[in-house]
Amino acid sequence: MTAQALASLSEEVLLEIRGLEKSFGGVKAVSDVSMDLRAGIVTTLVGPNGAGKTTLFNLITGHLTHSGGSVRWLGRDIGGMKPYRIARLGIARTFQDLRLFKDMTVEENILTVMEPGALPFSFTGPSAREKRERVARVMERTGLADKARTRAVDLAYAERKFLSLARIMAAKARLWLLDEPASGLDPNSYATFLRLLREEVAAGVTVCIIEHNLDIVVGSSDRIAFLDRGRLLADGDPKTVLEDPELTKIYFGDRV
Amino acid sequence: MLWLQLTLTGLQTGALYALTAVGFSLIFGATRVFHFAHGAAFVLAAYVFYWVDTAGLGMIPGIVLAALAAMAFGVAMDRLVYAPIQRHEGSFFTVFVASFGVGIAVQNIVGMVFGRGFVTMNSTLSRSREIVDGVYVAPLAWIAIACAAVFFALLQFFLRRTHTGMALRALADSPELIRVYGLDPRRLSSYAFALGSVLVVPGAVITALGSGLNPALGHHVMLISLAATIVGGIGSIGGALVAGFVLGLAENLALIFFQSQWTEAVTFAILFLVILLRPSGLFGRAAAH
Amino acid sequence: MEAYLLNLGVLVSIYAILAVTLNFIMGYAGIFSLAHAVFFGVGAYVGAQVGMHFSASLIVTIPAAMAVSAVLSLMLALPALRVRGEYFVAASLGLQMLAVTVFSEWKGMTGGIGGLIGIPAVRMFGEDIYRPAAFFPLAAGAAILVLIVTRLLVRSSLGRSLTAIRDSESAAESFGKNVALIKTISVVVSAALAAVAGVLYANYLSFINVESFTLDTSVLVMAMVIIGGTGTALGPIVGAALLLLLPGMLSYLWFLPQTQIGAIQQIIYGLGMAVLMIFRPGGLVGRSGARRRTRKAGGGK
Repeated sequence: MTAQALASLSEEVLLEIRGLEKSFGGVKAVSDVSMDLRAGIVTTLVGPNGAGKTTLFNLITGHLTHSGGSVRWLGRDIGGMKPYRIARLGIARTFQDLRLFKDMTVEENILTVMEPGALPFSFTGPSAREKRERVARVMERTGLADKARTRAVDLAYAERKFLSLARIMAAKARLWLLDEPASGLDPNSYATFLRLLREEVAAGVTVCIIEHNLDIVVGSSDRIAFLDRGRLLADGDPKTVLEDPELTKIYFGDRV
Repeated sequence: MLWLQLTLTGLQTGALYALTAVGFSLIFGATRVFHFAHGAAFVLAAYVFYWVDTAGLGMIPGIVLAALAAMAFGVAMDRLVYAPIQRHEGSFFTVFVASFGVGIAVQNIVGMVFGRGFVTMNSTLSRSREIVDGVYVAPLAWIAIACAAVFFALLQFFLRRTHTGMALRALADSPELIRVYGLDPRRLSSYAFALGSVLVVPGAVITALGSGLNPALGHHVMLISLAATIVGGIGSIGGALVAGFVLGLAENLALIFFQSQWTEAVTFAILFLVILLRPSGLFGRAAAH
Repeated sequence: MEAYLLNLGVLVSIYAILAVTLNFIMGYAGIFSLAHAVFFGVGAYVGAQVGMHFSASLIVTIPAAMAVSAVLSLMLALPALRVRGEYFVAASLGLQMLAVTVFSEWKGMTGGIGGLIGIPAVRMFGEDIYRPAAFFPLAAGAAILVLIVTRLLVRSSLGRSLTAIRDSESAAESFGKNVALIKTISVVVSAALAAVAGVLYANYLSFINVESFTLDTSVLVMAMVIIGGTGTALGPIVGAALLLLLPGMLSYLWFLPQTQIGAIQQIIYGLGMAVLMIFRPGGLVGRSGARRRTRKAGGGK
């Protein structure tokens, strides 16, 4: 699919990345990457380990500062902004290693992401009752309702993944950056995950996922961006990208 | 001539700080243990030396026993306090608190045994001689500076040329790597404590002979070597050496501008500024975060 | 006997305020400060000066002391934002040592090493409150109030943000937490509340000098928090009571040389800290098993 064809799916560009560069001590982790994330489209980033996928996320969220190019959110340059300010614009993310708030209960983990303000009591945000209700709703949907008082550190693996997802669901962001959200899930949990993702996308969330499992990729995304050694090698609809023999060779390497 | 006098005194003070700080830095670098009780090793060594010498047994046995006491204390801390803590969890905080606690206990035990007041030793080595017009230097100053140079050189040789020394340096980088090569990290950790602790002996002995001892000295020495370690850059043994001298000099040269009550404040102002402006230290490789 | 107990009650209340406020930053924000006695001192000196020259009413002295302490606490917030772990401990130590020099040298403000004498007693309901029997309810009330305030904060969104930042700073900021601001607020709140203890202390004793605000005091308060249980509601109070009862209890042991009570006390709490860290790092009140795992998960960055 061409860029024009993609554009016809959705008009609004949420995130516009142009010529993005990041090097670590001379090694280019991200090199001249340009792409648009459009409202309502699920984009999957694929590519071998070390391709620069997570680095790209870190550059978007401000955890890393780019060394060239630009990142724009709704037309506004967000390069060099602090992560918390970028988050408040409506960009939320998950981490490959989850980074849950280990010492807090499931309930508190979800509650705290709804309260970005620094003051102990907020008069402008959602009311305490509304927050409780939203927390309950999110816990229900992610199947964590009966774990509300369990501390994150005491959860099983799949439950932790769902808590990570629950946090981002509660954060009310427009753009989600998910770093391997489905890795290690059993088929049941995986089906739940996909259902939740579809529901959220239907409700208006735009998603960008890093994923290794190509079956997941084909089934759940509208578009694939293929990264290798920091370069964006292909960007288009799943079939076209995955049928490209060159890319398959890079991706599977000596396994094929 | 004031500045020359103060520079020479500063070098003497600096030499003592430097060696103690190098010991602390060596232990921290190799084991990641924030050995706050290092100052207690200093006090123990100093008082053992004082006790043996005043008992009439002579200086050499005093030094030997002081060295044994310092090493035994360091290794015991490693085995009895840090190892059990690290077995169930390795957080900096817990180790630090335990170390701090033992430091307080040792200071008070020494105080109960030897009294809390100052004790001094009579030695010809601490008698100052005029070297140039109006500049007085005691032989101890030269001994202190020479000790710093010799012991540091020996340590460098050990760390770079011997098998154990290289293993200790490797331990600083990766404890897993050590296990792969079939070395026992626990034993190496004990070596690091023995070696780091023995480095307090020159400073302890020279302090005992020179300015005299009191049990609270350990606290002061610890604060200074901690400051030197951080100013020099955590993990950098050479940095600790240089920073020890810098702090010793700063403390004495500050007398040109401030009254003597402010000298300690100068040291800690330097520490505070370095942490704020250059947390990795002057020669550090590790960033603070 | 009654006077002794009331006096002890006052001191426990005052130190409980210090321990509770230190626990607020240590247990929830993960800011491990060895400079808490600085804010105790600032509160005491400001309270004393305001009391001697303007008004001895707590409605005046406490807000003044809290305000000065809050402003000065930015000195501690600065390194807390930039560095953590051993670096921050060292920075707070540096601040503590600097403060002691300033306390002993700034004679106009602190009276130097001699200290300040003749600090007026608190006036309430037309009476001077200085007898232990009258002062104890005041001090205990203040301690309870401080405890309630910190509990409310811990259970508020600020408390959740602090814990979130301690557990994973990067995740917290990814959800819009302004880490620098939140940490600064917690340090300022802790220092301002610690100043309340200073004001009460100065009013109660009517005499203060630098000896009460040295590193030893910071260490004592830290020991109270740790021995009681870091990050627990009641731990710091238990710790404060225990460590202040210790000298009294030791004096009942007739076989101990009375001149060495101070040293024996320090040996006990020093070794107590070490032994607790080995066997029960969560403190007396803390959950031992669960706590250990948490620390491991939370520490080592």
